[in-house]
Amino acid sequence: MEEMNNSNCALEVHHLSKTYATVRAVDDISFEVQHGEIFGLLGPNGAGKTTILRMLLDIIKQDAGQISILGGPMSEEKKTRIGYLPEERGLYEDMTLWETLLFLGQLKGLARQTAETRAEAYLREVELWEPRDRKIEALSRGMNQKAQFVAATMHEPELIIIDEPFSGLDPVNTRIIKNLLYEMRERGAAIIMSTHQMHQVEEMCERILLIDRGKRVLYGPVHEIRREFAGNAVEVSMRGEIHHAPGVERITMRDGSYRLLLEDGVQPEEVLKTLVEMPEITVERFERVQTSLDEIFVQVVGREVSVEELAA
Amino acid sequence: MRKIWLIAKTTYRRRVRSGMFLILTFGLPILMVIAGAIPIIREERGAGEVANVGYVDQTGRLANVSQVSAQDMILSLLSYANTDAARAAFQQGEISRYLVVPENYFQGGPATFYAEEEPNARTEAGLERFMQQAMLPDQPAWVIDRLSDPSEMTYVARESGVAIEQGPAVIVRIATPAVLGLLFALAVFTGASQMGSVIVREKEQRSMEMIITSLAPRELVAGKVLGMTMLSMTQLGVWAIGGAVAIVLAFSSSLDFGALSIPWGAVLWAVLLGLPGYFLYAVTASGLGIIAGSQQQAQQLAGVLGIVGLMPQRFLGVVVDTPNGAAAVALTLFPFTAPMLGLIRMAITEVPVWQLAASFVLIVATLAGSIWLVARIFRAAMLMYGQALRPRQLIRALREA
Repeated sequence: MEEMNNSNCALEVHHLSKTYATVRAVDDISFEVQHGEIFGLLGPNGAGKTTILRMLLDIIKQDAGQISILGGPMSEEKKTRIGYLPEERGLYEDMTLWETLLFLGQLKGLARQTAETRAEAYLREVELWEPRDRKIEALSRGMNQKAQFVAATMHEPELIIIDEPFSGLDPVNTRIIKNLLYEMRERGAAIIMSTHQMHQVEEMCERILLIDRGKRVLYGPVHEIRREFAGNAVEVSMRGEIHHAPGVERITMRDGSYRLLLEDGVQPEEVLKTLVEMPEITVERFERVQTSLDEIFVQVVGREVSVEELAA
Repeated sequence: MRKIWLIAKTTYRRRVRSGMFLILTFGLPILMVIAGAIPIIREERGAGEVANVGYVDQTGRLANVSQVSAQDMILSLLSYANTDAARAAFQQGEISRYLVVPENYFQGGPATFYAEEEPNARTEAGLERFMQQAMLPDQPAWVIDRLSDPSEMTYVARESGVAIEQGPAVIVRIATPAVLGLLFALAVFTGASQMGSVIVREKEQRSMEMIITSLAPRELVAGKVLGMTMLSMTQLGVWAIGGAVAIVLAFSSSLDFGALSIPWGAVLWAVLLGLPGYFLYAVTASGLGIIAGSQQQAQQLAGVLGIVGLMPQRFLGVVVDTPNGAAAVALTLFPFTAPMLGLIRMAITEVPVWQLAASFVLIVATLAGSIWLVARIFRAAMLMYGQALRPRQLIRALREA
């Protein structure tokens, strides 16, 4: 295996490929994830995200490529240092929440007493301490989601792989899980997150990997990608109306604001100066347009993709 | 090993407290104990009783007997000249039952017993004693006792030199392997063959993917098999205790249990063939569960396994007729039928040790092969929710693993 020894890297993937029958599910994918980073893995339905995650975890074998996870190839010992919350997930419905967490905690290598201490601490943090003796089947969907999250992370892993961590959660519980993830990142854990909630990716992830049909489409820091795709446009709120202005190629209305697409080479400052000097209008807000990840996704993939499709 | 034990413990705990397991485990022995207790209760009703019994001797050759006792019951006997007189006394309550010994009794004609209800074992023993004394009035009691069972003997097998006492000892010798074979079949059908459903349920609950990232597939299968084995042992233990209590209750008055010896050879072979045989069924059923896409498919595949498991029963006639014939030997060597067939044959014949040893080796080798095979298809099929593994996928999984 090729030497991959970036000391801060929790995960290094080089030229990973997988083919199912005639379908190239993953095609020459490379990326890395650092300790203390939340990394977003995005792509439409069938893009190959789940296949990648399963290859990382040695659930399925790659056809080609190398994976260095926590400093080397996957081993049984490393399984206790990784937390995984799969998309297709469930807990034993006939067990109580408390029994489930002790079972899964011990399966991840915790001593029983440590598992009890951790389970209590986490259950209190996610507000599930009271219903700990309820059977899993009696928990609400949101409770179940939180329980699964705790089960996947209570052994405080160095690498956390989570698929749709916020699905089924209300804003309050989303905030609780998000804070837990931030705490884990602060502790130095590397977190790979796959979600369809783009605003969560924008808020939480330092870097992303966007794949489509098994191929890498975008890879890098979120702010750089957004800057790269920002384009030459500004958004203006004003009193009065305008239909044309010097240096502006096109004017459209969006949510009560004007979006001005500038001509090539025209700087936003020049347009602002022109607008301020126009007597028929009063500028109330002027800002450079930030392209959302949703928009970038559609632009890069080259087709309309539903929000749900992004998740799968 | 710690993880295997954890999976086994959890599998055991989850199923041992399920309503179906409790009903099946405790319901059967309760029924057995009740079945064993009913005759005892009936017998106890006659203990210490003095019964007035009339008899009509139409042979004219029976001696007068006024009283006999047997099994804590005393029969006070009154002779009547004819059946009308006996019937009249019965109707007036002078006697509670009466016996008519017909003229052709000594040529094989049956005696007729009249009573309000069917005679219990005490009454039957008393009537037998009366007939013996009435036919042999001049003989002392020890002659009559000996005549009641004149051919009790010990059989010695010429080749092995094994000595078998007649009576209950023979029954124990024959019954032990047969009962152990039955227990094996019960364990397989209530425990091991359920493994497929257990695995499918695991797939349906979507818990597999989370768990499989904590341990190796072989550890998960081994833990599940061990847990189900513990469950089967618990069930068999409860049933065995229930059965033993029922037997002790039913035969406490007629059997000297201290004089019976357990055929440890049969028990040893039952363990040597039965335990790996059970694991073989459990691992195979797990593999079928992994391949299956739904509970229904898992049950269908378990049914196929059940047909294989029931082959000894289908060949029982042939085996009993020729216990050392080719079919019997072949089924003893076939790993899936070996435990049950080997034990059935041990109940009816002297099975050559080499055959039992060869069965053991073949079962263990097949078990090792099954574990190898199941571990390979596990990885390919465990995440196929609601889908069965197609033959082409199965072959590819085996090739790629």
